Amino acid sequence: MLRNYFKIAWRNIMKHKMFSLINIIGLTIGLCTSFIIGLMIYYDFTFDNFHKDTDRIYRIVTDFDSSEGEFYNPGVSTALETAIEDNSSFEIVNGFYILRPFKVENKVNQTEFKWPSFVIYANASYFDMFKYKFLAGNENTILSNPNEVILTENRAKEYFPNLKPSEIIGKTLVYNDSLNINVTGVVENFKSRTDFVFEEFISHPTILQTRLRETFIERNWNSTNSNSQLFVKVKENDDLNKVKKELHELAEANTDEDSKKYGQTREFVLQPLRDIHFNEDYGIYDWEKGMASKVLLRNLVLVAIFLLLLGCINFINLNTAQATQRAKEIGIRKTLGSSRKQLIWQFMGETFILVLISAILSVVMTKWLIKVFSDFVPSDLEFSLLAEPLILLGIILLLVLVTFLSGFYPALVLSKFNTVSVLKNHLGIGDKKVGLRKFLTVFQFTIAQIFIIGTLLVGKQINFLLSKDMGFKTEAIVSVFSPRSEGELSKKEIYAQKLKSIPQIKSISLGGMPPASFNTNSSTTTLNNGNSEVQSDLQFIFGDTQYQKLFELELLAGRVYRNDTIQELVINEAALKAYGFSQPKEALGSMVDFGDRKVPIVGVMADFHQRSLRSDIKPMALVGDWYRKDFTQFRAVHIAFNNSSSEELKSTLNTIESLYKQVYTEVEDYRIEFMDESIAKFYDREKKVSKLLNWATGLSILISCLGLLGLVIYTTNRRIKEIGVRKVLGASILQINTLLCKEFLVLVAIAFVIAAPLAWYGINEWLQDFAFKTTMSFWVFLISGLSMIVFALLVISIKTLRAASVNPVSSLRSE
Amino acid sequence: MSILLSLNEATRSVNSGNNKVTLLNNINLQVKEGEFISLMGPSGSGKSTLLNCIGMLDNFNGGGYTFLGQPVHSMKEKKRSMLYKEYIGFVFQAYHLIDELTVFENIETPLLYKNVKSSERKALVADMLDRFNIVGKKDLFPEQLSGGQQQLVGIARALIGNPKLILADEPTGNLNSKQSTEIMELFSELNKEGVTIIQATHSEKNASYGSRIINLLDGEIVSE
Repeated sequence: MLRNYFKIAWRNIMKHKMFSLINIIGLTIGLCTSFIIGLMIYYDFTFDNFHKDTDRIYRIVTDFDSSEGEFYNPGVSTALETAIEDNSSFEIVNGFYILRPFKVENKVNQTEFKWPSFVIYANASYFDMFKYKFLAGNENTILSNPNEVILTENRAKEYFPNLKPSEIIGKTLVYNDSLNINVTGVVENFKSRTDFVFEEFISHPTILQTRLRETFIERNWNSTNSNSQLFVKVKENDDLNKVKKELHELAEANTDEDSKKYGQTREFVLQPLRDIHFNEDYGIYDWEKGMASKVLLRNLVLVAIFLLLLGCINFINLNTAQATQRAKEIGIRKTLGSSRKQLIWQFMGETFILVLISAILSVVMTKWLIKVFSDFVPSDLEFSLLAEPLILLGIILLLVLVTFLSGFYPALVLSKFNTVSVLKNHLGIGDKKVGLRKFLTVFQFTIAQIFIIGTLLVGKQINFLLSKDMGFKTEAIVSVFSPRSEGELSKKEIYAQKLKSIPQIKSISLGGMPPASFNTNSSTTTLNNGNSEVQSDLQFIFGDTQYQKLFELELLAGRVYRNDTIQELVINEAALKAYGFSQPKEALGSMVDFGDRKVPIVGVMADFHQRSLRSDIKPMALVGDWYRKDFTQFRAVHIAFNNSSSEELKSTLNTIESLYKQVYTEVEDYRIEFMDESIAKFYDREKKVSKLLNWATGLSILISCLGLLGLVIYTTNRRIKEIGVRKVLGASILQINTLLCKEFLVLVAIAFVIAAPLAWYGINEWLQDFAFKTTMSFWVFLISGLSMIVFALLVISIKTLRAASVNPVSSLRSE
Repeated sequence: MSILLSLNEATRSVNSGNNKVTLLNNINLQVKEGEFISLMGPSGSGKSTLLNCIGMLDNFNGGGYTFLGQPVHSMKEKKRSMLYKEYIGFVFQAYHLIDELTVFENIETPLLYKNVKSSERKALVADMLDRFNIVGKKDLFPEQLSGGQQQLVGIARALIGNPKLILADEPTGNLNSKQSTEIMELFSELNKEGVTIIQATHSEKNASYGSRIINLLDGEIVSE
């Protein structure tokens, strides 16, 4: 029986190749996206789920709330650890400090390692909380003395190549030229997905021999460093609210006077271990690795669901439309003794075969698509993840679900046929479902239409962001950054001097970051403007006296500071307003109070955008290099070019690089940034959204149009006779084409009417993220509506034109 | 001879708009086993409806219908389906073979619904193909056969379940006279082997093969 069903199913698929193809394409697209997105979700949600008692481990983080807004810090003040150490609610209290040594030496091999990453100062409690597998070393006396270090397998291989873990124990490493530290253990790196990427664990007491000695002797409540990490494992069945309350009380009891005065509050918050991978407020330890965004995942899931639904709808539409063609078979089977249940199973089986074919295709495509979507897919997400039992189970469930969604309704309709009327050729059930098919088609096109409008508007906003005048010069400017370890100015000055010899360079300025960057540096200031004392945060950009000219920052009043190190401020209009002045001139000469010093305002510059257009323009000041004696804020050489051809520019850039190498001979850390490219980088996220939307739009149009094509083929075939009669009566091809297209175009138009407000609402929500937004123009909606209609018309006409041009003699010939 | 089925004041009517249209009116009929009955009458006289109702594809909505001593009119759908699967075979004017199945598979299908084992099915179908001399055509699809051959397959399919009763609705309606004669010869041969046959026909010649002719007009039996 089963074989018979499969045979029939296969022959049916082959007989209606066009319909089968449409169904398979639609389902494949839906399944493929679901697979990839499923993989991503699985990947992101299986981070750090292998630790013992994952659900009871929390990181304590700090949330600040002030009039300026909320700030989040993944660290806590060092005093907190001591305060909760003996709290009975916690099974383990695990505080560690992230600190990169600038140098590690293996004296035996005479090898040197600069700035090794992921080095922490930790206690035995760290290994209590996160279980590592020890390859060598005593597990009972972990990091119990100062000057001990445990290495991971990977790091050990770097420091001690060719040595077995057991041979490394007892070897000495020299940190920062002076600290002799013994290796007491080698642990295996975590094999499962984890955000705990640390490679070197130095015993915590050792930190007293570093520059942080004071910090850890004092352990004060007021400073919060993100490197100071604190994890706790809450006891089983302990009341979490009680713990939260205690943390709240601790935060309140230890607020300093200044914070109270200015209404700043601080809160210690329990962040669940499983939240670390998702919460961008607090970040993860390896910045280069992507974090997962729950919002992005949610949107991706929506896209997958929609595409899958569209595929299922095609299936339902085409199969109910085709029902009349299957009716005869159904009638015969019923007279031969088939029950309705048996028929339903038969059709479900057919559906399953199609779904299975699509699934196989999808698996193949997934491999390829993981590359296409590399912007979204984490780089180490691998195709082989598909073989995980949970994923396999999920895929099987999904296939069954899709089979049900797309197959059940057609099966019900088909199996319902009345035997007698079918065999007498009194068909009609297929036609009764016209209403449903229309509804589903409208649904499909509504989704496609929403995607189109969304794509256009997001594109428009990105275009707006990129083309909006930032308020300073962004073209033909590059910034060359000095090596990270370089704290002195002298070499930069030599470099700048050398650059001056290049004729294509218009001007050169030494300074900090360019006017717009991801970095911020700010202080709280107060100012007495004559009427009252005003407090405001003030951001800084650092530059020499040429900086303002090079970036063409417009000066509204006053002047730039007289030399590079004098303590004078050039504030922007936002600061002007924040301090309560109405005219630029009024501010000149006023003293800004930084607490430990007062600095005069000597100039006022026009506002420019300091960051992406998502954020408002904040009060800011352009200042010189005030602390040059200790360290310089000038990290880069900014270069403006004369107008020149791209050929010339290329050779100039080469010269700039070779000069850099002449000056900085020891380190290889050449970093150059084009101002316009850096600004484009602000909008990486928006570009991702846009790419995602492009794909979703393309695919949803494809699926919907294929579905429409299927319906058109079907209805047109049924009306062949009518077309023949009309032609005999004198209708032109165009008239017939209009007649055939009309009913479908109405559906597309209805879809537009439904989609437009929904899309408007969605995009409006999205635009709320931006301080500066493009307008949602009427023409965008018009264009998207028209383009949808054009698409549909093209698809419909493929079939209707051919049908309309058939010679009526052949279509009217009876049987 | 024992009675195969009997109709007692059987009525079939449908609602067409607001009018009630009576298709069959007070039909009284007894069919004995081994009979060969020809139903005659003009188009619309109710021949097909009567056949469909006897074959349980359609139901009377008045009167009684007894098949092999069991009251069909008061049976549940499932029981009725069991009954006709077991005892009744259909032959149609338009053959109604399943286009997607080969000759072999078409003949096999009723056995599938009777849950006959695979090896037994093969043997039964092979016998049937042999008997009708269509072994060479077993892997062809219906559209590759002539009308007469298709009807042969149709009859073979009706017979495969070894039914007591064959209902044939204008079995030769789509065939030429030579093919018609062959099919009618086949029917009378089957009848001699003990199969009860009820056929609906327009043709006096075909009707004459039967042992009993019933004339219908406007849903009523007018003469026997």
